[in-house]
Amino acid sequence: MGEGGTLAGIRVLDFCWIGAGALVTKALAELGADVIRVESRTRPDNLRVTPPFRPGTEGGLEASGYFASRNPGKRSFALNMRHPDARGIALDLAARCDIVTSNFRPGVMERWGMSYEEVRAVNEAIIYLVMPMQGSDGPHAGFIGFGSTIAALSGLVHLSGVPGRIPVGTGTHYPDHVPNPGHALVGLLAALLHRRRTGEGQLVELSQLESTVNVIGPAVLAVSAGVPVERSGDRMAGVVPRRAFATADGSWVVIACRTDEQRKALASALDIEMPADREEAAEAMVAEAVARLDCPSLLDSLHGAGVPAERVNSSRDILADRRLVERGFWYEVDHPVIGTMPMFRLPFRSEGGRTSTPSRPPLLGEHTWEVASSLLGMDRGDFDRLTEEGVLE
Amino acid sequence: MPEPGRALAGVRVLDLTDAYGAYASRLLGDLGAEVLRIEGRVDPDPVWPAPTRDHIDFGERFVNAGKVVVQAESLTGDDLEALVGASDVVFEAAGRLESMGIDRARLKALNADLVRVTVSPLGEDEPQDGPVDDLLVLAAGGLMHLGGYRDLGPIGAWGGQSAMAASIFGAVAALVGLVSTESSFDVSAQESIAQALEDSVAEFALVGTVRDRRGELPREAGTGTFQCSDGYVSMVAGRLGTARAWSALVAWLTEAGTPGAEVLREGLWSDFHHRKTPAAIDAFTRIFEAFAATRSKEALYRDAQEREIALSPVNDIAAILADRQLRERGFFVEVADEDLGRVVFPGPPYRLSATPARAPRAARAGGGDAVAGFVRGEADG
Repeated sequence: MGEGGTLAGIRVLDFCWIGAGALVTKALAELGADVIRVESRTRPDNLRVTPPFRPGTEGGLEASGYFASRNPGKRSFALNMRHPDARGIALDLAARCDIVTSNFRPGVMERWGMSYEEVRAVNEAIIYLVMPMQGSDGPHAGFIGFGSTIAALSGLVHLSGVPGRIPVGTGTHYPDHVPNPGHALVGLLAALLHRRRTGEGQLVELSQLESTVNVIGPAVLAVSAGVPVERSGDRMAGVVPRRAFATADGSWVVIACRTDEQRKALASALDIEMPADREEAAEAMVAEAVARLDCPSLLDSLHGAGVPAERVNSSRDILADRRLVERGFWYEVDHPVIGTMPMFRLPFRSEGGRTSTPSRPPLLGEHTWEVASSLLGMDRGDFDRLTEEGVLE
Repeated sequence: MPEPGRALAGVRVLDLTDAYGAYASRLLGDLGAEVLRIEGRVDPDPVWPAPTRDHIDFGERFVNAGKVVVQAESLTGDDLEALVGASDVVFEAAGRLESMGIDRARLKALNADLVRVTVSPLGEDEPQDGPVDDLLVLAAGGLMHLGGYRDLGPIGAWGGQSAMAASIFGAVAALVGLVSTESSFDVSAQESIAQALEDSVAEFALVGTVRDRRGELPREAGTGTFQCSDGYVSMVAGRLGTARAWSALVAWLTEAGTPGAEVLREGLWSDFHHRKTPAAIDAFTRIFEAFAATRSKEALYRDAQEREIALSPVNDIAAILADRQLRERGFFVEVADEDLGRVVFPGPPYRLSATPARAPRAARAGGGDAVAGFVRGEADG
């Protein structure tokens, strides 16, 4: 939880796991909400055992850098939802929260007796987020998927790549990281605003497929109007060149010239003569010239000449990117198992700088006693008994 | 009290963005806000690769849907000050208000309660000389490094994703402003794209390995893009798949009598360390693509899902427009369009039970009346 963040006072009961859902509550925690992550030791979040691990720390449930990267700022409450006595505790917590989040397949929260209707019966103003792959109803409501399969289903993968080659998409589970947590946050915060104004809570459903189709909305409009859209390998009419070029030192640089002035500056900086009417020949000349130069000196000369160019930042490069460093995008946490590691923030600053610095990612069950005693008023005897019975873990 | 029905009913949003921020106000408009967009001199659009027809820019159509659009040259300085004074949220491209004669101090004097959100490619302090191409931001944001072909090099994601990402987080920032006392936000598209780097930064920090693009290669036996009789399918039945997915996949392949599939029953294949080796990936791909060569995307999709295997067709846009699930949910919305007759929009990305989002509507041009109505809070919504 962040100190004095903009959402201070908002409490979230978080059943999210793996990707898209965990990033929603990561953002809420960074904004200052108290996010209580419900986790199970019996059936832990798959990410807790997913690489990367710092060499020598592998094994156990605390070493995953992947898990850590999307869970800073949260508290961990270890509760075995499969135990019949867990539901009462979860409902007691939900009664004291403003928001309940989950991203399971339809039916899991219901099986645990934690459906929207059941939670609303103990907390009428609750805002309840679900993130089913394809929505809570319809013939494919029970279908399973991941960010990469949703990207394929939505049309994004088909459009990303070079004509005539296998569509490569983004090489990642992109929908899990931007469109789906981003749209979910918009829906949640709108529901929060509505509750501030009227006292009314509600159910927010984000279909991950429908959310992802929206970020390629222009293609849907075009095809519906009879204009075909296909992958173009980064080509765009009137922008020549527009692609990544390999440099001598093993980096890649994107050059994108929108005007003849920029193309002239590029030709002059590289000391080549680009044919104005033959795009591919011009690109080949640029590629040949760039391949003889190292990235830093190439960027210096292109920027000096007013040519739009950027390094294709690798994970190493981006940690040192001047703009991100100056804007405070990265911060470091010190974790008892992982050691120090960089964390990324939300992509905006407010007037006072960054909203807050979240605490390090939690160990599994690290805050079970803290939450049970302070929020539920549980005494040590009951806590020990519930732990022994395997309800609390 | 706001009218019931829309989460953002009564909220007035002034849109002074370029392509990077335009979808932010679209999102708030669909949630019930009144959005007035001031369009400046027209720069060539730096983000949308969708082809145009009769000079129709489908990207612009999509992100500005539902807004009242007013031309900047038709506004007086007094009009602009009145609009700013009446707004709850202003979205702007970096420096746009200042270039129109309203600096920070003047802004505060005109409207102390205003939530101001700047959406720009690289942050509002970075000098910007003309439009910034989406591909530059995908590169600077690091996502492009993970995508593309082994031989051809990095390739960007389609569709102005840096602008979509920055706009989505612009809407998040504006809503944070509306529910808190923070009033000024500076959204960077580069940072918005850098949300999407998966485990690559952690991997570099903890292990020292720089993750590179994988190209066409599957990540693991069972996880990747595979060819079938009429195109490609995408599957996750490996490390991140459900617990039973790999064994269900092996059962499916062997029951079908797929040549060579019996080997997948051997013990070492249940270990993901083995499934990640190049030899295992290659062997699996040959077995699976032989199986898939006589099966269509749709048949594989149906049969895999029946077996609880996360497999999807790699759809083109026509296929997604025909998708049964989306049709039965009434997702797509036909919108009358003055140039095209009709056009199909995706419906809202979420469903809010108490305050449903509006269905997409076409943008409409506004003049003095629209400005006056916005200032008085009498827009028709």
